[in-house]
Amino acid sequence: MANLATAPWNLGFLTIVQEPAGYLGGYLVTNQWGRPLEFRLSTAVLPNRVQQILYGDTLQPYICGELIGKTLIDKTVTQAHVIVTDREIVLPLRQLLATPVGWIDEREWAGVSERENVLQTHPLFPQDQRMLADLEERLGDAFDLTEPFARIREAISEARKMGVTSRG
Amino acid sequence: MAEELPLEVKTLPAFERSLEPGIREARLLAPPWVRSLGKLTMEVRIEGWRFPVPVENPTISPSVKPTRPRLYEPEKKSRRAGLPKSRTRLKPPGDAVVLKERLLYLLQPPLETLFSGKQVTLPFQPYPYQMEGIAFLMPRSAALLADEMGLGKTMQTILALRLLFNGGLIQRALLVCPKPLVFNWARELRTWAADLPFEVIGGDADARQATWRISNCPLKVVNYEILTRDAALVADERVHFDVVVLDEAQRIKNRESKTAEVVCSIQRSRSWALTGTPIENRPEDLINIFSFVDRERIPANTPTRQLPKLTGDCILRRTKDDVLSDLPAKTIRDAFLELTPAQRDSYVLAEKEGVVRLNSLGATITVQHVFELIMRLKQICNFDPLTGQSAKLEQLQADLAEVADSGRKAIVFSQWVQPLEILADNLASLGALQFHGKIPAKQRPALLERFKNDPHKHVLLMSYGTGSVGLNLQFTNYVFLFDRWWNPAVEDQAINRAHRIGQKEPVFVTRFVTQGTIENRIADILENKRQLFAELLEQNGPPPSLGLTEEDIFSLFDIQARPKRMAA
Repeated sequence: MANLATAPWNLGFLTIVQEPAGYLGGYLVTNQWGRPLEFRLSTAVLPNRVQQILYGDTLQPYICGELIGKTLIDKTVTQAHVIVTDREIVLPLRQLLATPVGWIDEREWAGVSERENVLQTHPLFPQDQRMLADLEERLGDAFDLTEPFARIREAISEARKMGVTSRG
Repeated sequence: MAEELPLEVKTLPAFERSLEPGIREARLLAPPWVRSLGKLTMEVRIEGWRFPVPVENPTISPSVKPTRPRLYEPEKKSRRAGLPKSRTRLKPPGDAVVLKERLLYLLQPPLETLFSGKQVTLPFQPYPYQMEGIAFLMPRSAALLADEMGLGKTMQTILALRLLFNGGLIQRALLVCPKPLVFNWARELRTWAADLPFEVIGGDADARQATWRISNCPLKVVNYEILTRDAALVADERVHFDVVVLDEAQRIKNRESKTAEVVCSIQRSRSWALTGTPIENRPEDLINIFSFVDRERIPANTPTRQLPKLTGDCILRRTKDDVLSDLPAKTIRDAFLELTPAQRDSYVLAEKEGVVRLNSLGATITVQHVFELIMRLKQICNFDPLTGQSAKLEQLQADLAEVADSGRKAIVFSQWVQPLEILADNLASLGALQFHGKIPAKQRPALLERFKNDPHKHVLLMSYGTGSVGLNLQFTNYVFLFDRWWNPAVEDQAINRAHRIGQKEPVFVTRFVTQGTIENRIADILENKRQLFAELLEQNGPPPSLGLTEEDIFSLFDIQARPKRMAA
């Protein structure tokens, strides 16, 4: 894993949106200044009634994490050193990846007035906490970690207008 | 005794045949009896786009030492505590139809994030309207930035180019400008984009050919005259630019001119034009400029009333009134100009001869002797004594044309009357009025009234020594210092004739400075003193003098001689 202190590093921003058409995922990889390097978008996944019943409570975590999230990350050529998500339900994805994953609660972020660690990590990977704390330190006050998600949602909307997100 | 009954055995037909079970098929369930309720697995498809890799660790040219610029002086440096409060995002232009191109710009970070980070450092934060201007330019392959003079078109263009280069979105750019402005652009580039290498196209034919065809420098700067002269080189298909920027684009408003023809022949991917004139009021000029910006956007014989609809997405014009809330009360910028060839020859000769003479004076030299040489050289910086050529006049004419087109008024200061009289002749079409020692006192009030009320009078030519306390010219938005004064306080007093407390409109001050001359050296000394003044004021109080000291004056030339008391 790259040494964040010295080498240039990339950030991954993963979000899942839920719409009438289904669950849609967007994954944006940027450089350390927030410039886009690669963007991946999933088609909409709408579970049928049988799937809803049979998967039960595991449906949403499965769709958001393993199905959409991991597929997006696996298909992305540009590797991210750290992945940030705004959906808590994606956090278990960490168990399938070698990359640290942090969840940022946008409501908590909005209320931050002092420097503090606002990224939450998976409880099974406490070592991620240190890495994400270094990340926040390095980014400084000027980088709003929630801002890229707004870009992703706008990109999803743009792609939808062009019919890219139709159900598979 | 019991009787025996006879037994008769009879056969029953039912038992004559053996019992055989009958089997009948009974359908209880139709096959198959396990039904599938639907697919259990879910599938997802992924679409993706990769973007150009931004430049990492851009290097600052070692020959340039970033210095505090004198060009833009907002009253306060913008302070950002924590996250940027506003976010200026790029939006893809209306004619971008390819999804990847639209996503490329939608997914860029806000400009405030880029400028507040460590990759792109700036001497000052742009004003909000300037951020919008940069965001307007960046995604466009066809753009006309027509902000009113003084609002920072140069800076917006430089930052837009810088971000495009840093983002890996362009590799080669060409900037075309009037000859007197080449040094000004160079200076602004060093101020706002110290990490962006550039070269000025010039020199003999071989040197220019090498620059056009071989040099890998990302940004090239050329003036209109050299561009026209090198038409054949420019037409070479090996010469291609990702962006071509035209400054003072009204230069090509005559479509039949050689200049317009050559400019339009440059092979390029993006075409940006800059002008301060209210281009929307001049359909003919607009159409001709668009022959460069986007040739196919305006079909032939398009009615004038349809022009706004066709070009609206490509044009951005703000006036001072539009951005009043963003602007400081007073903005001062230095316009660095190169002397014309005739001026340069006269200047070099005069300085050389002057220094020789001063050195020959030995200990009898006085400050007055040096003053005389300074004055002579400053006059040459204004006008060449032999030919009358003037780089300052050329630029002033262009600037004042924009001022007049925008319906504004300007004051031009000089420390001598003679330059003002020459300017009056050359600026007659702009309704220039003179206000100096040669104008009888009785005529002055009426003259000022005319300047204020007559919409055709756009320029007032004034000497520093003229005018009194109470002279109120608050309706004037532009002040030009044709030549500068010794003492910054005198300049400030002149400027404040237009800019006063209570002035509702911002004032733009342009100080002409000719490059590589005594004016340059004096300006540097005065600027250092201003900075020292500002620092000392915060600590101890004002220094005794802000003007040039005797040592300052002697240091302006390579003079070994000193007055006896100084040498002691």
